[in-house]
Amino acid sequence: MPKHYRPPGKKKEGTAATFITRTKAVRNLQVSLPLFRKLCILKGVFPREPKKKIEGSEKTYYHVKDINFLMHEPLRGKLWDIKAYKKKIKKARGKKNKDLVERLIDRQPTYKLDRLVLERYPTFVDALRDLDDCLTMVHLFATLPAMESEHIQVDRIHNCRRLSHEWQAYISRTHCLRRTFISVKGIYYQAEVEGQKITWLTPHALQQVVTDDVDFNVMLTFLEFYEALLGFVNFKLYHSINVKYPPILDPRLEALADELYALCRYIVAGSRTLSGNSQSGISSESEQTGNKKMNIESEESEVRLAQLQHQLPANERGALMNMMEDVNGADEEDQDTKECKSLFKDFKFFLSREVPRESLLFIIPAFGGLVSWEGDGAPFKETDEDVTHQIVDRPSLGRKFLSREYVQPQWIYDCINARIILPTEQYLLGRIPPPHLSPFVDNKAEGYVPEYAETIKRLQAAARRHVLPLPGLDAMDLADPGSLLAEGIIDRAEANEAAEQRQKLLKLEQQYHDELNMELQGITFSAVASKGNSQISTGDVEVEEEGANKALDQVAEDELNFSKVSMSRKQRGLMEAIQIGKERKRNKIELLKKRRKNSEANRNG
Amino acid sequence: MAKLKIRDKKVKIAITKDKKKKDKADPEAVPELPVESSSPTRDEEHSDSRDVSQSSDSERSCESNEVEGNDLHHPAEESDSSEDEVAPRNTIGDVPLEWYKDEEHIGYDIAGRKIKKHARKDKIESFLAGVDDSKNWRKIYDEYNDEEVELTKKEIKLIKRLLKGSTPHAEVDPYAPYVDWFDWEDKGHPLSNAPEPKRRFIPSKWEHKKVVKYIRAIRKGWIKFEKPEEEPRHYLLWGDDFTSAENKRQGLKYIPAPKPKLAGHEESYNPSLEYIPTQEEINSYQLMYEEDRPKFIPKRYESLRNVPAYENALKEGFDRCLDLYLCPRTRKKRINIDPESLKPKLPSRKDLKPYPSKCYLEYLGHSGPVKSVSVEISGQWLASGSTDGTIRLWEVETGRCLKVWEVGQPVNHVAWNPLPQLPILAVSAGHDVLLLDTGLGDAEEQHRITELLHMEESASTDDRDLVSWAREEMYGGIRLKHSKAVANVEWHRKGDYFTTVMPKGDTKAVLLHQLSKKQTHNPFKKLRGLAVSAVFHPTRSIFFISTKNHIRIYDLLKSKLINKLETGLQEVSSVAVHPGGDNLIVGSKEGKMCWFDMDLSSRPYKILKTHPKDITNVAFHRSYPLFASSSEDCTAYVFHGMVYSDLNQNPLIVPLEILRGHASSKYGGVLDCKFHPRQPWLFTAGADSVIKLYCH
Repeated sequence: MPKHYRPPGKKKEGTAATFITRTKAVRNLQVSLPLFRKLCILKGVFPREPKKKIEGSEKTYYHVKDINFLMHEPLRGKLWDIKAYKKKIKKARGKKNKDLVERLIDRQPTYKLDRLVLERYPTFVDALRDLDDCLTMVHLFATLPAMESEHIQVDRIHNCRRLSHEWQAYISRTHCLRRTFISVKGIYYQAEVEGQKITWLTPHALQQVVTDDVDFNVMLTFLEFYEALLGFVNFKLYHSINVKYPPILDPRLEALADELYALCRYIVAGSRTLSGNSQSGISSESEQTGNKKMNIESEESEVRLAQLQHQLPANERGALMNMMEDVNGADEEDQDTKECKSLFKDFKFFLSREVPRESLLFIIPAFGGLVSWEGDGAPFKETDEDVTHQIVDRPSLGRKFLSREYVQPQWIYDCINARIILPTEQYLLGRIPPPHLSPFVDNKAEGYVPEYAETIKRLQAAARRHVLPLPGLDAMDLADPGSLLAEGIIDRAEANEAAEQRQKLLKLEQQYHDELNMELQGITFSAVASKGNSQISTGDVEVEEEGANKALDQVAEDELNFSKVSMSRKQRGLMEAIQIGKERKRNKIELLKKRRKNSEANRNG
Repeated sequence: MAKLKIRDKKVKIAITKDKKKKDKADPEAVPELPVESSSPTRDEEHSDSRDVSQSSDSERSCESNEVEGNDLHHPAEESDSSEDEVAPRNTIGDVPLEWYKDEEHIGYDIAGRKIKKHARKDKIESFLAGVDDSKNWRKIYDEYNDEEVELTKKEIKLIKRLLKGSTPHAEVDPYAPYVDWFDWEDKGHPLSNAPEPKRRFIPSKWEHKKVVKYIRAIRKGWIKFEKPEEEPRHYLLWGDDFTSAENKRQGLKYIPAPKPKLAGHEESYNPSLEYIPTQEEINSYQLMYEEDRPKFIPKRYESLRNVPAYENALKEGFDRCLDLYLCPRTRKKRINIDPESLKPKLPSRKDLKPYPSKCYLEYLGHSGPVKSVSVEISGQWLASGSTDGTIRLWEVETGRCLKVWEVGQPVNHVAWNPLPQLPILAVSAGHDVLLLDTGLGDAEEQHRITELLHMEESASTDDRDLVSWAREEMYGGIRLKHSKAVANVEWHRKGDYFTTVMPKGDTKAVLLHQLSKKQTHNPFKKLRGLAVSAVFHPTRSIFFISTKNHIRIYDLLKSKLINKLETGLQEVSSVAVHPGGDNLIVGSKEGKMCWFDMDLSSRPYKILKTHPKDITNVAFHRSYPLFASSSEDCTAYVFHGMVYSDLNQNPLIVPLEILRGHASSKYGGVLDCKFHPRQPWLFTAGADSVIKLYCH
């Protein structure tokens, strides 16, 4: 008799009945393995971990319900159809029936993923929650070259580019970008949309390294779903700011590969008319604006008009932006957005050729700045008098304007992360900028604070004080960031002292209250005194030297030992694991501190 | 025949005389015999044009043409041209002119005289002649005949026409209407004489069928010609209804994939200096296991323009995809517990007093590791046995050594008789067990003891006996000679029986001795394992034998196995029974101690991992809820072990104190521990030959 004998006619129960191996699932579904993979990816079905792996630990298990879910998926039939259709084409090609081949290829069956998107993400927030991978993948493919050998078509790459730009345009327009980080892997962005933190990574805009240890079929299947998802998400987002989707772009700017800028302009144009204060010279529009009472139909027609007539002179942009903000801002925006929106409000940036233009064109408007670049279609020229900052990334520059500051691109990213305008001295042309720190790390939890993070913190504190009207500071002081820094430090020291004093007072008060309470409860003074004495005695012990300390250590160790002895084995293992983890973390921090000390010593000596 | 060379144009043209003649004759001949004359004309033209092209190619080919020309044409036949009137001066025949290059003659005339070449003019002469003579340009030097020929106007016209590529004679019409001179009538049959079939005049049936098929397909919409209408790809998928029930996800509960870890400081393109490992550290990564090796090594770029494309970008994206669709997902509670909360809530130790905590007395005197101690039931006397071969008797409260027995062999174990009126000491030393009279007690007791320990010589000379009972000569007790070394001696609570354990004794490993009858029994022949120790139940007639992995429990009255406890330990070293009799502790050589509740299960109720080294002995207190373990790591643990009379309540075990103080030596740390029978005091025997008393 086999080990797991089950009498005939008796049904399986438990794990054996609820979980199924992949091979069996594939056979049940009557699809090939690649097709099964595609179905799983599109449908979002993943293996699950059974409590007991009945058919061996090396196998992958799916839940039976998941497989039944796939079984009833219409997409499965569609994929079958496509497979059969491909055979038809092949046959016609074999018979040299060119006419038929052409006709068949023209009318290939296709499938849509909208239903799947809705099924996987019933609410919009669900979709936003899972958008990280989607955005990262789409941005990655937007930088890849089209490869026929890997079936990466040009139009898919273009679609990825378009989708990513549309997303960035929305983020930039609604000022919901929160953090950015230039890493070796690419640039991380974190935005907050409808309360969801969405983080994505864009590769550096360079020729990507295409390796051959990657199965593009899998990636392209994922991309297929992600393209659909991001399209619908973008539609919803554009809808929410009353802009038509898909956007119609300025062909001139598009040809110059400034899609992002074209999109921004488009959005501005689209929402501008809704504000009802259009200034462009079309007569019908002006008539409508003349009638302050606007009904919805006219509004809609105006939207259409604006969309057709989206090529606006570039210099009107700033004014329009401000108008927009007056109308639909303020009431619905939270504190964070306001802060982000006004970070670069008074600045005008100009980008040199060598800086990552796409990234900066995305983030500077997201934080309220005006930006231009070298090339056709730029809103203003390099010689513009109002430019406050020029972003350069080269060792030296021949001709300089005295009216503006020449900073490295890292300054922008650091300012955004710190949410203050950092002093530019360290970021000036030709200098090695200070370390670029990740905004995603909680330094306190990590237990190690890099030097520059402390500096930034001090500057932030100073800036926050600066916002409030202070009696001691006059305008001159405020203008100089260096003095601000010093001010901040002094303030901090003062604050510390004050806090200590307050604590002392509080302690005394607390003691008084305690004694009162005790008296009420009827505890005699002598008991309290003895307790106090014991405290004093322990204090004395501490004063006494190592012997006592050792004894105390011993006691503590014994305590630990006892608690360990009386724990169950599982709990003991858990506690040891926790301790090992803590130890590892401590070692890491120690190593960092050691390296820092070494580097400081090197710098000094 | 004539060979012409036009120097000016650097073109040599070979024209045959007879051809020219025929050409002249052609116009007259056309009306009479058009058929005959037309084809030669064509031929001629053809050959002419060929000649021109060939001659323009190179001079060498021209020469070969000359040769041909010589073969084909014979000047004697008909001669009406002006050149023909003069006989050709050249008589050398068909040989290359090269051969006569250096000669002054060129052939011989009919009289046999040399035909002289004309004297060659030098350049200046010829130039001057050319300047003077206006007709010089139409003069051609005929190399073959060595004479200068003046071309006529007609000839020049002809040459010009030839150069242009048209027919040489202007009269010839190359595009004359074609006259079909062939007489087709009565010249036989054409290729096929069959009449045209009908099918050539009616539409094809099969084509019709095919067309019908297409038409039908088009009508029914199977074939469509217009492109399918592009539906808008995106629309408002999520409406504004937040509350509707259909906004629920179908299927099983969705487990979102964990988000990828966000980048830390070290992944920055320009991290702080402390995040960059030194070269030695990077080298040391190579020595690590591949799993432990850091996957990402931070690197610093001094400016943003220096940052290269990340080489693993695609690979990492792909790995993420694989994780998303291949990794099994489970929901796991994130363990974020304070390690303090894991510690069990134990009652305060202060509440569990008294227990031994401080070293109060030391009993000094032994010169070797003290293997065993035993306290008299009244608590007044302490006996100890050491490997130096002595047994000492101490007064507990003063630490005075009362008596010393020298047995000459290392002592393994000592045990007091549990009866207060019988102060007898059982000692296992080497292969022997000694029953010694301690000489304590009043005279009446002494008398009884001497009677009890009296042995007659004759009784002990049988080899078949398990053990030989003999008189101890030196100290006046009884000596039981065993076959193997004896590890343990334990008394029954009534003081008459005692048991000895010989670990290497095979079937005779555990023996029961009766003092009053001086008899020995061996009821436990099959033990299945190496016996380690044996203990009597404190109240009932039950016997515990511990082998290396199991504890076997026998009923002595029925003489059968009642229970077998599975310790799960590797090697048991000692056993102690709770005075209540239902609980048992077992110490092992891996430093673990098991508490068995025999009412509960045959498996340990609790396993305490206390010592890092072997446990040498465990002990229960007779009256206090205390137990202790001693170990080779020079410590002894004291525990609170409360057993409740309520069967529903599990025993409470609380570690109380770690007793230190013994020095470590090569023989081990603490070798034995025993509780005082009345007080919460603990005696520990150390390998450093000291016995210590710990009091509360």
